[in-house]
Amino acid sequence: MKFPRPSAPTLLLLPAIVVLAAVVIVPLLLSFYSSFTPFRLTKPDTFFVFVGFRNYLTILSDWNFWVAFGRTVLLLTVALNLEMLLGLGLALLVERASRGQRVLRTLMMFPMMFSPILVGFQFKFMFNDNIGLVNNALQALGLTDTAIPWLIEGHLAFIAILTAEIWSSTSVFAILILAGLLAMPREPIEAARVDGCTPWQTFRYVVWPFVMPFAYIAMTIRSLDVARAYDIVKIMTDGGPAGRTELLWTLVARTAYSDARMGLANAMAYFSILLSILFTVYFFRKLAAARSQIGAEW
Amino acid sequence: MATVTLNKLEKRYGATPVVHGIDLEIADREFICLVGPSGCGKSTTLRMIAGLEDISGGEIRIGGKVVNDLPPRSRNISMVFQSYALYPHMTVRENMGFSLKIAGRPQAEIDKAVAEAASILGLEQLLERRPSQLSGGQRQRVAMGRAIVRRPEVFLFDEPLSNLDAKLRSQVRTEIKKLHARMQTTMVYVTHDQVEAMTLSDRIVIMRDGHIEQVGTPDEVFKRPATHFVAGFIGSPPMNLFEATVADGGLAFPGGATLPLPARFRQNVTAGQKVVFGLRPDDVYPAGHGLHSGDAADLHSAEFQVAVTEPLGNETLVFASFDGREWVSRMLNPKPLRPGDKIAMSLDLSQAHLFDAATGRTLRN
Repeated sequence: MKFPRPSAPTLLLLPAIVVLAAVVIVPLLLSFYSSFTPFRLTKPDTFFVFVGFRNYLTILSDWNFWVAFGRTVLLLTVALNLEMLLGLGLALLVERASRGQRVLRTLMMFPMMFSPILVGFQFKFMFNDNIGLVNNALQALGLTDTAIPWLIEGHLAFIAILTAEIWSSTSVFAILILAGLLAMPREPIEAARVDGCTPWQTFRYVVWPFVMPFAYIAMTIRSLDVARAYDIVKIMTDGGPAGRTELLWTLVARTAYSDARMGLANAMAYFSILLSILFTVYFFRKLAAARSQIGAEW
Repeated sequence: MATVTLNKLEKRYGATPVVHGIDLEIADREFICLVGPSGCGKSTTLRMIAGLEDISGGEIRIGGKVVNDLPPRSRNISMVFQSYALYPHMTVRENMGFSLKIAGRPQAEIDKAVAEAASILGLEQLLERRPSQLSGGQRQRVAMGRAIVRRPEVFLFDEPLSNLDAKLRSQVRTEIKKLHARMQTTMVYVTHDQVEAMTLSDRIVIMRDGHIEQVGTPDEVFKRPATHFVAGFIGSPPMNLFEATVADGGLAFPGGATLPLPARFRQNVTAGQKVVFGLRPDDVYPAGHGLHSGDAADLHSAEFQVAVTEPLGNETLVFASFDGREWVSRMLNPKPLRPGDKIAMSLDLSQAHLFDAATGRTLRN
């Protein structure tokens, strides 16, 4: 039997296709397929049992899943908004620095240089109710005389995680917005001052519309980041106490590896990806609108 | 409607002075141009009037009121920038109405003011466009419209035509002149282009290295330049300026040629004095091909050698050498000349200028 000779382009693309298939396409298809099976890591045979949408129905009717989903959206919303406000403030301050701006810019990026795992450990220590810096400081300042159970009470733990998340990632916003500020032409700002704007009005009507696309780029990047938040939470609370800080991906990981229910976990994962896609689409739309508004040529 | 007064106005960046205590009185409704080469401090002066730069010394009064410490928004001025400085995210209408909106004026008033400015500048069809959809000339007109809408006491222009091509530049120049006639407002206009300054202004301020060299009407600065620098800066093509030495009733040029010393300078020079002799291209011309405006006794003839000619239709610029240097001559009713031709040139010494070589100041009474 004789195979038809493949064309030169096909032949040249083949190595790339093989690599892609091995590392992306096949795992993607397999995991997607497994979300339709009751696959358990401990029982390999279950991989070949097809159950249709049962996993999806299970998670959609599972209250714990929806709580984790909602909490992830909440974390995303609060963290992104706070990070943007803080990042904007930082960027505006650094932009005004007349000397040492390079040093400040580098310093600003420090939190991004640490592994999230280490950030998690550091904040776990700081928020520790017995030996942590936070309680220590609060007590030393006489603001409280009790040991506040930061990582044990559900709401406080959420705040602690939020703090760690914001500390480590505000600089993403700061740097992108600073890039926008530095790229901004000076004359419209001066024109606004002559046109009668107070500094606040100048910011509101002239500077902000210009840096908005940069903020949306940061939003897009960070929404993907937070939607897959795992490491900081894993270290600080591991989803506890009693699931009070469980996020989508800690739940997925627990289901997949502790409970060994890989099929169900994959169904959760595919559903969660929807969330990320939704946010990305939303911010890209906003970005496109903001860009066309300022007549950006990039 | 307001006067603008600069009193010993100074600007220093650190220890480096940029504007050295200049004095200037701008009358109400006057169109005044600050002109000079780049780095002469003209834009800095304008920006100090606008309040965009701090003042290092002296004072600025607008309408008699000292405005040194007032922010730009409290000075009742409008400014048109070189790069237009339109707000990219606003339509033409919003750009023009922005200052009134900020001031909290009612919408009806804003609409009326914008419509009026748009009709003056012919922008009616463009009101809903954004700056990125406009050509350079249109953007410049929007920038002017934005300035008009405010009805300021003083208009400031910072090289508004520099980014336009030559044809558009002369067109917008005319529009600015019409605008001034119509608005009857004090206008201060910065440019490095002496043609713009000459065509637009009531008075021209020529600046150099942070000093004012001369203030005068276009006619004055052209006909009676106060310094060697002004003589060389105003006029196109520039004045022929050559160093010479005063020697027994004449001017001796380095190459050995001599010219008679015009009578009106005799009182002001001494023998052996180093001077700069200046003669405009209009006053050096192939015999019979120019306009003689003075006494025939002042017409001096000399032989020049043609280097190159630039025909312009109704006139031709002739670059020709005399005393080993190249002079420019404007030949009216041109006749053909070839490089290398030797021709008799008439030098109208009644129009000659003489400056002290050391101080650069004119030696005219």
